[in-house]
Amino acid sequence: MRKPFIFVILSLLILAWMTLNNLVDDWGRLEGGWENLTTFVSESMWPPNWSVIEAQSYPVCEKDIEFFCSVGYLGMLETLKIAFVSTILGFIGALCLSSFAARNLMPMYIAIPFRLILAATRSLPSLIWAIIFVIVIGYGPLAGVLAMTFYTVGYLGKLQYETFEGMPSDALEVSKAMGLSHTTKFTSVVIPETGNHLLSQLMFMFEYNVRHGTVIGIVGAGGIGYYISTYLRFLQYDKVFALLIIIFVVVVLIDLLSLMVRSFVTDEGDVRKPTWLKEMMKLYQSRKASSEQ
Amino acid sequence: MVLEDISIGYNTVLASEISARVHPGEVIAVLGPSGIGKTTLIRTIAGLVEPIDGDVELNVEKRGGLGYIPQKLGLVRHASVYHNVNLGARASLPVIKGGSEERKKRVNSALVALNIEEKTTEPVRRLSGGQLRRVATARALAQRPKLLLADEFLSELDHNTVDVVIDAVKELLDAGASIIMVEHHEENVELLATRVWLIEGEKLLDYSIEEWRNRVGEEE
Repeated sequence: MRKPFIFVILSLLILAWMTLNNLVDDWGRLEGGWENLTTFVSESMWPPNWSVIEAQSYPVCEKDIEFFCSVGYLGMLETLKIAFVSTILGFIGALCLSSFAARNLMPMYIAIPFRLILAATRSLPSLIWAIIFVIVIGYGPLAGVLAMTFYTVGYLGKLQYETFEGMPSDALEVSKAMGLSHTTKFTSVVIPETGNHLLSQLMFMFEYNVRHGTVIGIVGAGGIGYYISTYLRFLQYDKVFALLIIIFVVVVLIDLLSLMVRSFVTDEGDVRKPTWLKEMMKLYQSRKASSEQ
Repeated sequence: MVLEDISIGYNTVLASEISARVHPGEVIAVLGPSGIGKTTLIRTIAGLVEPIDGDVELNVEKRGGLGYIPQKLGLVRHASVYHNVNLGARASLPVIKGGSEERKKRVNSALVALNIEEKTTEPVRRLSGGQLRRVATARALAQRPKLLLADEFLSELDHNTVDVVIDAVKELLDAGASIIMVEHHEENVELLATRVWLIEGEKLLDYSIEEWRNRVGEEE
């Protein structure tokens, strides 16, 4: 079992190497690359310029805490809002379409047209959707919301119908034999059975949309990307670096939130694990007790 | 229900020239060695597998007329016991037609009959094997189908649980339902069956329970 597996991996690696070799015309370009990178980071990016979390000079900040008037906060908040709205709208739109695109829920003559619709919305990257909506409705967050909603429908829709198709067939077969309607089958069997995957995909998509919010902001669709593109234009890489750190922190926080949300629907949630807070409390109490003795 | 000269199987024929009728109140035990086609026959009657040849005439309502308990039970693992049993009630009393009180009544009486009323809010994934079988039977009881197809639904149960399940199934029979059940254990056949279908040598042999007892007696 092991040998064929290693053989397949090695063959794939060789194939990838040959393809790369075919793509790259001059390997000499790699020479001095590391040096260029270290020069760029040390001279232009490092240290990050944390003025991005201080109040902007204009408009005048009327809040008690300066941070709430900063580029980092306002940009990130707008990106989060765009990502949140488009993820929710996209998730609902994707559920409607994917329930008709799964082959185990619908006959092929219905599933195929819905798959084509999802493929069409997915084939345009969110950046292109953003450019289209900026042209149609102008600069601003609405263009960002629409662009990311369309992309989310296509992307999540595919993940969802593949999840539905991969679910165990016995509960579906029972509901088919019993004569349950498509809506009941979908809402009462398919969604509870695949809830964990759907939530995971939803959180992944939210995180994806937050990260992509930076890219679509560059073409004028609002959010933190607008500030990144401005700083890039003025070669203020240290400020860009500070904003990238803020995005990284937010992405990690979303990941933690995802872990927490999913624990409600997984088997994992059945086993009570000690939380770090409880463990610290126990340690504190035992130390207190021993010191009192 | 009428089976008219059907052949069953997937890629190859497992049994052919099967013709039989099931009348209200009858309990058919389908017997035969493993892999002979018992489950395939049940799945063919349930409409999950097309017969290779012939017709299956169910003569029950399309919505809720047919109940099915597969070997793996087909429960929604991440939903509660109530949700699963309610699915049975929803099959015969769709939400769109109202009747929520009647549905609630059916679900609660099924939970009580199967002795699982204390587990109502528990997710199904946390239940033991015996409890799972009781939930699947409660789902069928709440559905009140005219024909129940059950694949080894009494296996792996202790005697007390078998009694509880049998009592619940008898409620269905009293309401005029018929049951086709796949079985391996002779004692379970004796508990419920009024007829036996034996699949042997690609053929289905139809016995009344008396004829079956005689055959078993002769073989012993």
